[in-house]
Amino acid sequence: MAVEETTTGQEIEDIIICRDVHKWYGSFHALKGVSTTVKPGEVVVILGPSGSGKSTLIRTINHLEQHQRGDIIVDGIELSGDIRNIDAIRREVGMVFQSFNLFPHLTVMQNITLAPTKVRHWSKSQAEEVANELLTRVGIPEQASKFPAELSGGQQQRVAIARALAMQPKVMLFDEPTSALDPEMIKEVLDVMRELASTGMTMLTVTHEIGFAREVADRVIMMDEGNIVEEAEPNEFFTNPRNERAQMFLSQIL
Amino acid sequence: MASPPVSQPEGMLPPRSEVGVTGWLHANLFSNWFNSVLTLVSAALLVTGLWFGLKWIFLAADWTVISELGGRFLLGRYNTEAACEGQNCFWRPQAALIMVSVLLGAAWGLRGNRVARAVAWLVAGVSAAFAFLPYNLATMGLDVRILLLLNLPAVPLGWALAKYTPLGTGTRVTILGVAIFFITLILLRGLPGLPFLQPVSVVYWGGLSLNLILAVGGITLSLPIGIALALGRRSNLPVVKVLCVFFIEVFRGVPLITLLFMSQTLVPLAFPEDMPQNSLFRAAVVITLFSSAYMAENIRGGLQALHPGQAEAARALGLPGWQTTMLISLPQAIRNVIPAIVGQFIGLFKDTSLVYIIGMLDVVAIGRSFIQSNPEYLPSARELFVFLAAVFWIFTYGMSYISGKVEDYMGVGRR
Ligand SMILES: Nc1ncnc2c1ncn2[C@@H]1O[C@H](COP(=O)(O)OP(=O)(O)OP(=O)(O)O)[C@@H](O)[C@H]1O
Ligand SMILES: [Mg+2]
Repeated sequence: MAVEETTTGQEIEDIIICRDVHKWYGSFHALKGVSTTVKPGEVVVILGPSGSGKSTLIRTINHLEQHQRGDIIVDGIELSGDIRNIDAIRREVGMVFQSFNLFPHLTVMQNITLAPTKVRHWSKSQAEEVANELLTRVGIPEQASKFPAELSGGQQQRVAIARALAMQPKVMLFDEPTSALDPEMIKEVLDVMRELASTGMTMLTVTHEIGFAREVADRVIMMDEGNIVEEAEPNEFFTNPRNERAQMFLSQIL
Repeated sequence: MASPPVSQPEGMLPPRSEVGVTGWLHANLFSNWFNSVLTLVSAALLVTGLWFGLKWIFLAADWTVISELGGRFLLGRYNTEAACEGQNCFWRPQAALIMVSVLLGAAWGLRGNRVARAVAWLVAGVSAAFAFLPYNLATMGLDVRILLLLNLPAVPLGWALAKYTPLGTGTRVTILGVAIFFITLILLRGLPGLPFLQPVSVVYWGGLSLNLILAVGGITLSLPIGIALALGRRSNLPVVKVLCVFFIEVFRGVPLITLLFMSQTLVPLAFPEDMPQNSLFRAAVVITLFSSAYMAENIRGGLQALHPGQAEAARALGLPGWQTTMLISLPQAIRNVIPAIVGQFIGLFKDTSLVYIIGMLDVVAIGRSFIQSNPEYLPSARELFVFLAAVFWIFTYGMSYISGKVEDYMGVGRR
C-alpha cells in the first residue's frame, strides 16, 4: 500500500488507489488503464470532454460499474467481486448524481434517514437528529417533511448531499452535481460543496465549474478517451497545461 | 357570452367568467355553439334515460323476485335441509357477518374516515333490516332475527376497539381482517367432531358470499404472488427466471374457463394426496394463480418504468439488493401501476361468477336456477339481472373509489 511521509512526520495512507483500471462496455473500451491515488482530505476535480470516461471512472470506485482489469482499493478494502467488500466500500463512499435521484415516494427526512437506519442500524431518533443537523448545514432546515417534488432543483441536490453525508462517509463522489441546475441554483450547491471541502472531506468531483476547480481543488485530473492525460495542481493546470489535449480543452471552455 | 370588462387591478381577483356557477357553465358547457349543442343534446338524452329508468324501477318493475330469493342471494343453498342435516347452520354465516361488521367498525375507528363509516353502517343496517322481513317465524326464526340485529351494536364495538384499545393500528386491524377471513371459512365449513360445527359440504355454498370469499382470497393472495413472480422474472438466476416466465405465460395464455375445468382434475395432482380438497379450494387456487400472472406483468411494467438512477442511488448508499427492491423499487412500481392493479382486482371479482361452470352456485347462478325452478318468476328475469348487475357495480365501483383515495394519499402523479 502506498504510504507517504508528510511534513509532520505522520504517515498518511492513500484512501483511494486505482491501479491500471480497465473498463469495457461490451466491446467499447471506456477506461484504458487509469492509475491514480487520492489522499484523505484531498479534493480532486476531474475534467474532460464528453464521453472521456469521467463518470465511468468515479462509478467504478463504488462499483456502480464493474471494472474488468486492474485494482481499486478504497479505505484499505479491495474492490473485488466479493459482495461484502462492495457493500463495505459503499458504506464509506457517498455519491451525488447529476439528476439528484432522490426517492420521490419518501419525504426529505425519510430520504436522509433511510440508509443510516437500515444499513448502519441507528435508532430512528438518532438518525433524525443527524438528519436535522445536516439539513441545517446544507441550508434547508425547514423542509424535512416535504417530498422531493415540492423542492427546487438546488434544494433537491442539497438534500441529496445531506442524504449521502448522513452515512458519515469518508469519501464523497460528485458526478456533475450542478449540470442539471439553473444558474442561480448552481451557487447554492457549490457553496455547500465548498463548505464540505473546508471540513476536510475527501472529494472526487466531476464538474465543468472551472471557478470551483480553481478555488477548491487540490488537484485537477484531465481525462480524454479513457485515459488520464494530465494531472496537476489547479493553478499549474489552468495557466500552464503541458498536455496538448488539455491545452485544446481549456481553450474551448475558458 | 363574453363577460363585461372587469375594472380591477391585475393580479387581485380572477375575472368573473372564471368563477361561480355561471363561470363554470360558460367554461365547461357553453364555451362555443358546438359545445352548447352537444350539451343540450346530452342533457336531453340524460333526462329521457333517467325518466324511463326511474319509471321502470319505481313503477313498472316487480321486485318480489328479490325478496323471494331472500337469504339464498347471500348464502346459496347453505341453509337447506340437505346441507345441514338435522341441525340449524344458519347462525354460522350470521356470526361471520357480525365479525365483518366489527371489522368494518374497526376500519372506521382507525382513521375516522367518512367513507369507512358509511360502508360499515350500510352493511350493518342492511343486515339488520333483514330481521324485519315479513317471513313467518318458521321460515326465519327469532334467533336468526336477533343475530341479524346484532350487526348494529357490532359496528360501534369495532369502532371502540380500534379507538380505545391497542388493536387500533393499521397492521393489527389488517391481521384481524385476515383472521376473520379464515374464521369465516372454518365457521362455514365446520369441523368434524364438533357437534355444533357439523361439516357442510362446499357444494352447498353459494350466493354472494361465495363470490366474496373467492374474491377476497384471490385479491389478498394474487398481489404477493404477482410481486414474487415479477421479481422472479427479472431475477439474474436463470432457473428462477425461466420458471416464472413459464408460469406467467401459461396462466395468461389459457382462458380462465378452461383453467377452471382443468382445475378439477389437475389441482389434486399438485397437492399431497391426503390433503382434504374440494371444488371450492380448487377453483380458488386457479382463480388466484390466473390473477397472479396478470398481476406479475402489471408490477413488472411498473418496475421497468423506474429510472435506473433510483436503484443506483440506493445501492450507492449501501442498501443491499433486496432492501433496494423492497424499500425503493417496489413501492414506486406499485404506486405507479395502482390503476392496473385495481383493474385486475375488479376483473377477478367479476370472474368469480365463472365458477358456475364447475357446478358452484355463485350469486348469478343462484338467481338463474331460482327462476328456472320457479317458472312463475320467469317474467321477473329482467328485475333479477338488473339487481345483480347493480350489486356487482356497487362492489366494483367501491374498489375504484378506494383506489382513487389510495392514489390521492400516495400522491400519484404529483410526486
Ligand atoms: N452503460 C453504458 N453502455 C455502453 N457504453 C457506455 C455506457 N456508459 C457509458 N458508455 C460509454 O462510455 C464512454 C464514457 O462514458 P462516460 O459516461 O464515463 O463519459 P463522461 O466523461 O462522463 O461524459 P459526460 O461528460 O458526457 O458525462 C462514452 O463513450 C459512453 O458512450
Ligand atoms: Mg458523465
